[in-house]
Amino acid sequence: MRFIKNVFSQLHSFILWLMFSAVFWGWIFTIVTDAPAEEKVTVYCYVSEIRDKDLAVALEENRPEGIRMIKVHPFDYVMMNIERMEDGDIFILPESQIETYSELLAGADSGAAAGNMDSAGMAGDTDSGSMSDGGAGSSSTDGSAESSGMDSSMAGGRVNSSGGFRIYDAAAGCGGAAQYIGYKGEDYYLFLGARSAHLEDGKALEIARRLMDME
Amino acid sequence: MKTQIVELYSDSDMSRLERKVSVWTKVLCIVAAAALAACVIMAALTNTANAGRMELGAVVTSTAAGWFVIYCGIFVVSRDKRELAHAKMLRQEMRERVEGTITVTRERLAIHKSITALRVDVADGDRTKRVLITEQKGDALAKAAADGAAAVYTAHGYVAAYEVMVCDS
Repeated sequence: MRFIKNVFSQLHSFILWLMFSAVFWGWIFTIVTDAPAEEKVTVYCYVSEIRDKDLAVALEENRPEGIRMIKVHPFDYVMMNIERMEDGDIFILPESQIETYSELLAGADSGAAAGNMDSAGMAGDTDSGSMSDGGAGSSSTDGSAESSGMDSSMAGGRVNSSGGFRIYDAAAGCGGAAQYIGYKGEDYYLFLGARSAHLEDGKALEIARRLMDME
Repeated sequence: MKTQIVELYSDSDMSRLERKVSVWTKVLCIVAAAALAACVIMAALTNTANAGRMELGAVVTSTAAGWFVIYCGIFVVSRDKRELAHAKMLRQEMRERVEGTITVTRERLAIHKSITALRVDVADGDRTKRVLITEQKGDALAKAAADGAAAVYTAHGYVAAYEVMVCDS
């Protein structure tokens, strides 16, 4: 009885400590689980269902040298705030949202088909953007594709007019990392980030390739 | 028969209180340090796969340890420290002898940032003098009063000692 009375007399202290503890360790773990942009690859997925932690763990298994961390976030993680996604290295978007987020995407604003992925050897062939033909892509990879190990047939192997690589083919119902990412209803495209710190060193591309290869 | 003055806080009481404060202070420091160390280890062992669990573990550990330290700090260490300071004051101050029938009431007076006291009525005929006694010593005085104690010594209105009758031997 006395114990309960004592606890209630100091309830404010206990509640304040609980709040402080949660905020302080939340802050510490935010720092611990983050890394400078040069040492991490951040993937944003425009999906409502995603096993982000599992996908990040799977991608981290053979991460490129110099990369300490892979972070995977759904778009709602940043409340769809474009500014907060500017440092994203890889974006996975449904076809209907590409226009909305075009400023984040490498090669998107120029409209150059195949964009940087093509030059890096990811692209199979380009597509005018209609996506009506879907299905398996053709194989028009050049030498760099082989050197980067990309397979143009992955997920249909098509690049749309914005420079994205189709990671999910709605017609065929298959795509990269589908066991982690809840694709819904339409084709999804993978883009490299326009301001990615890993465009030059090819590490974003390496992760992108692994995403495409995943089941 | 002769009278004997019994100090509420004897030397052994004082040293027991000092030891208790010292031990509890060390225990609380150890608990706080251990909890902090555990949280730091959890943070150091964090990776992408276990980040959520580790963060929850750190929050739960630090919250539980903090609650324990807050509770014991306030209701054990601080209370005993205040009692110790109060006892030192009682032993050093000039005292006044108050004679009469001693009644230890259950009326508690929690003095902010100080001790909790019980009211003691010392009735001598029509006159009743009200004094205070620390809560921890209330039962001892009540027992002494039941055994025949008929006078108390007060300092600053607090009972510091009481007088009992003992047989000559």
